Amino acid sequence: MLLLYCYATGTFAIAERSPHDTLVVTSGTVAADTDLRPYVYSLTDKNNNLTIAQVADRSFSRNDHLFHGNKKNNGRVNNCWMQLHIRNQGSIPLSSIVFAGWHDFMYWYEKAVADTPRLLMATGLMLDKGGVERWNHYGFKVNVPPGETRTYYLHIINKSYNENPLIPKLYSEQGFSVLHDTQLDIYRKEAVIIQVLLGMLLVFFSISVINYVQLPDKSYIYFAAYILGLILFFALRLEGKPYQLSFFHRWPMLKYYWDIPGLLFCFYFMYLLFGNNFLNLRERYPFMERVFTWVSTVVGGLIIICMYCIAMEQYHLPTIIYSYVYFCTLIPLLAVFVALARRSRHHPLVRFFLYGSVCLYLACLGSFLMHIRPLGLLSALGELAAPSILLIAGVLMQAMFFLAGLSYRNKLVHLERTRTQELLIKQLNKNKELQRKLNEQLEELVKEQTTEILRKKHELEEQRKKQLETEYDKKLTEIELKAIRAQINPHFIFNCLNSIQLFVMQRDYEYAQKYLSDFSYLIRKTLDFSRRNFISLADEITYLNTYLGLEKMRFENRMEYEIIVDPVIATAELEIPAMLLQPYVENAVKHGMTNPQAAIGKLSIHFNQVASDMLECVIADNGIGIARSRSLRTLPKHHQSSGMDISQNRAELLNKMYNTEIHIEIIDRSAQSGDDSGTVVKVLIPQL
Amino acid sequence: MIKAVIIDDERNSRDIIALMLEKYCPEIKIVATASDCADGIAQIKEHQPQLVFLDLEMPDGTGFDVLTGTQPETSFEAVFVTAFEKKFLHVIRCSEVELILKPIDKESLLQSVALVSARIINNSSLERYQVLLENFHNGRHAAWQLLVPAANGEAHTIFLPAVDYLEAQLDNCLFRLSSGAVIKAERPFRYYVDLFSTLQFYQINNMQMVQLPNISQVDAGNGRILLKSGTVLEITERRKRDLLARLHQ
Repeated sequence: MLLLYCYATGTFAIAERSPHDTLVVTSGTVAADTDLRPYVYSLTDKNNNLTIAQVADRSFSRNDHLFHGNKKNNGRVNNCWMQLHIRNQGSIPLSSIVFAGWHDFMYWYEKAVADTPRLLMATGLMLDKGGVERWNHYGFKVNVPPGETRTYYLHIINKSYNENPLIPKLYSEQGFSVLHDTQLDIYRKEAVIIQVLLGMLLVFFSISVINYVQLPDKSYIYFAAYILGLILFFALRLEGKPYQLSFFHRWPMLKYYWDIPGLLFCFYFMYLLFGNNFLNLRERYPFMERVFTWVSTVVGGLIIICMYCIAMEQYHLPTIIYSYVYFCTLIPLLAVFVALARRSRHHPLVRFFLYGSVCLYLACLGSFLMHIRPLGLLSALGELAAPSILLIAGVLMQAMFFLAGLSYRNKLVHLERTRTQELLIKQLNKNKELQRKLNEQLEELVKEQTTEILRKKHELEEQRKKQLETEYDKKLTEIELKAIRAQINPHFIFNCLNSIQLFVMQRDYEYAQKYLSDFSYLIRKTLDFSRRNFISLADEITYLNTYLGLEKMRFENRMEYEIIVDPVIATAELEIPAMLLQPYVENAVKHGMTNPQAAIGKLSIHFNQVASDMLECVIADNGIGIARSRSLRTLPKHHQSSGMDISQNRAELLNKMYNTEIHIEIIDRSAQSGDDSGTVVKVLIPQL
Repeated sequence: MIKAVIIDDERNSRDIIALMLEKYCPEIKIVATASDCADGIAQIKEHQPQLVFLDLEMPDGTGFDVLTGTQPETSFEAVFVTAFEKKFLHVIRCSEVELILKPIDKESLLQSVALVSARIINNSSLERYQVLLENFHNGRHAAWQLLVPAANGEAHTIFLPAVDYLEAQLDNCLFRLSSGAVIKAERPFRYYVDLFSTLQFYQINNMQMVQLPNISQVDAGNGRILLKSGTVLEITERRKRDLLARLHQ
């Protein structure tokens, strides 16, 4: 303001104010810069349909409101014509430059007194394509020969809602180059700041993209989009300075295209989406989530509307939309901050979000306030996001806070993960411990059950053993009884008695008495032996002698027998199982008497000591042998005798009972050779 | 005069039979003796005796072999003589063939000789020997036939499994058959009780002996036995438990 004031006063002091609409140059040169406002008459084309020919005939008037040293929001398309008369009263030709600022469309016409206007230059921010040296285009040449008067027309069309400063000035060559240098200087400073900002934003962008690749968290991508929006926004802001070509010179429309929608996109749409995701409002604060979603949806809609308006070249509409949005959201945004702040205790991420937001909020507000004084309320609104230092600082602060928040969020996620892992490990350890315990229990159980099973098995075996023993005893008794009966063949007894009867009837009393006493002895011994398990060999020999004697009597001396005892055998001491041999002897008698070839049955019994502890008893007869004896008997099968089987059983039983190895072998001699005949029974009795 | 042959493997036995017959039964004339089966068959075929005293066990066979070897071309009455015989006791008794045990006592010898002499004189049927051999070869007494002596010296042959129960009637014994028929035997009830006690019979009271396979149900509560033929018999309390035990075997 001060500068402007000085500048203005300076101009007023130098220039001679003339009510006349013609600038008169006397010396042939002009001052470094001359304010042309007093000499410029203007005409506003409200319908945008005037041509140069028409304008030349129109009358122009003074309109100081047209000029402004700062940006100005016209709120409409500014289509104006300016008229300037210059007379050269000097002797040398006047050559100077008119500069009126940077505008969208500019047309520079020159008209000699009686001539038709001639287009000298057509330029403009929206008109120039690439490869244009802008200072040369925008500095309009004024060449007035000495003593002549020229009329110049400048047609300016500004479609943008914000019009760049518009003050026409006449510069000398030197003056113009000074202006060029100063402006470039300012621009460069600003460009450096913005480029630094862009660089930082690019770094942020890269970080967030890299982070997103590493950790697919949606808030990173929202943040990246937000940063990208800012980058584009500020990059386009460079374009706003028209001094030199920037990236987007090929599409000058872009600077309008981006401005308001860009603001909406960055500071509302992406900001809200990012906040929503970053703070995880869906779970943490569902109401706020709904608010954010709705507002961002509405803003999204507005962005589309703005783009449509820009495409339709209705540039002022986005401004109106933006100002409404700005003022409408100012207080609610504050309310949102407060609401979030109240939650910050339980939600540390809110702090980061809030600090960043408040930074930008204050920066914006500050920027706005800074612009109000030079620009006025409405223009200031348009320049809200102009890259002032304050705003840039705010944006950077916000971005940094957000980035810090994201890092913190990562940390939280990491912590959570670590905690979960620890919990998992703990749980796993617990499980392992549990498994170990279970295994131990199971093992114990198995052991117990195995022991139980073994015990049961043992019991069962014992029981079976007992049962077997009982059965065995029973069988033994039975067999013993059977054996005794078999031994004293009732046939023999009654036949003996029959014989005695015969002797009595034949009155052979002596014979009868002998027979009777022998018979009595035999019965007594039989009764005696049947009660004992072992008897001495001497007793056995006496018994067999008596028995064979009785048999011999029965068979009327048709048989002979001998009992030969090895003299080394101590018959009185040696013990053998009672009644073991009798059945074989009886059998031998029976078979020996049935051989038709041998008139006299011969029977021999040998007792031999075959080993120190083994007694052998051989009972041999000269009968027909077992095989033929069996074949002679024509009894039906069910009547087969089982006497020999019983004695075999008996031997086995005795072996089992007394743990001895009594072995019985029966040899059929007639089966071995035709000449020989008879049966040999070998009984091997081990000595205990 | 009755012609007789003695077959015994022991000389003492042959001698004492001959001696006792000579002394107490002069009407019997010994025409031959034999010491084994083969010789016995030959002697019988040669002398055609009316009466044969047969030892049961001989070295080359049994008395049954002698019977089998001589029947049916020669017909004679047989008296078995044995020292001790349990094995063939039932077969012989069921067919009402005479059996004398050694040592021979005079009374039983006289009784047997009188009985067979009467048969020889009356020229009685020799069916009993057929029955004897059939029963001997049959083995299972469940399929035996039984010769029941009747009052007139005749005999009925009945199928042993057909007998429901035996009943005492004074000095006689009544055979009640499944068919309802009643046959009267000229023998005391006690005789059959002794004979059948080792077979499938059971004495249920003082008067009756029932064939076990023919019982359909034992009504223990009322002390009654229901036979398959529908007859209901009474059983004494003491014998009831014994019977049930035997049936369960």
